Amino acid sequence: MLHTKIVDSKEEKILTSDAEKFITDSKFGASIYFLGTVRNVNDNKSVTGITYDSHDEMVIKSFKEIYNEADQKLDIKDKAVFIEHAKGYLGLGEISIIIAVASKHRDQAYVLSRYIIEEIKKRSPIWKKEHYENEESEWLKGNPIANEKI
Amino acid sequence: MKIKLELFGASRDFGDKDHLELEIEEKSSVNDLRNEIIKYIDKNFGGNENFIKIVKSSAFCSENNEIISDNYKITKGQKIGIIPPIGGG
Repeated sequence: MLHTKIVDSKEEKILTSDAEKFITDSKFGASIYFLGTVRNVNDNKSVTGITYDSHDEMVIKSFKEIYNEADQKLDIKDKAVFIEHAKGYLGLGEISIIIAVASKHRDQAYVLSRYIIEEIKKRSPIWKKEHYENEESEWLKGNPIANEKI
Repeated sequence: MKIKLELFGASRDFGDKDHLELEIEEKSSVNDLRNEIIKYIDKNFGGNENFIKIVKSSAFCSENNEIISDNYKITKGQKIGIIPPIGGG
């Protein structure tokens, strides 16, 4: 069971309550909520906010691929996964990503949650532009996308 | 032939719109397109080194949302996306 969405910050916010509604089920004994939030310092610079950009279709595609791989690579068949990533401007402390997972046992939930965030970092086309106290802003360098090419 | 290059992340600074329209030779590859973008930056941004670095380190994607290799042949009117180094989360 998978839910994926890009959440445009101009229209709505990421809510943990939405994730809770989606993953809660008495067949699961373990749930983990991972939240990424906007931090106030990066590379010794005072950050005031971050603008997120995304290739929406490719991001959703990557979320689905990562979820499906969890079946094969991690052999975690019975699970609920809720992934949302923000797009647009976020202020300090606001949620940029939520990955909520539920599975039968805690070992699976921890492995799954960690696997999803690490793969998103490698493969989902999302970019950050940091805004600083001196009114300047900068796109973060990032890493080359790690997808297979055709 | 004309192609539409969709801009994402740091490459959004290459223009005022969310895309560039570029004229490239028939049967151009992704690598040829990369060189055309660098020419565009030379012309419009005085060879801005940061911009050129972004182009050189970027991947490209097709309309089908697949990452395409440097020797992928582009067809007329195709929409290609430039994917600079990523970093979500």
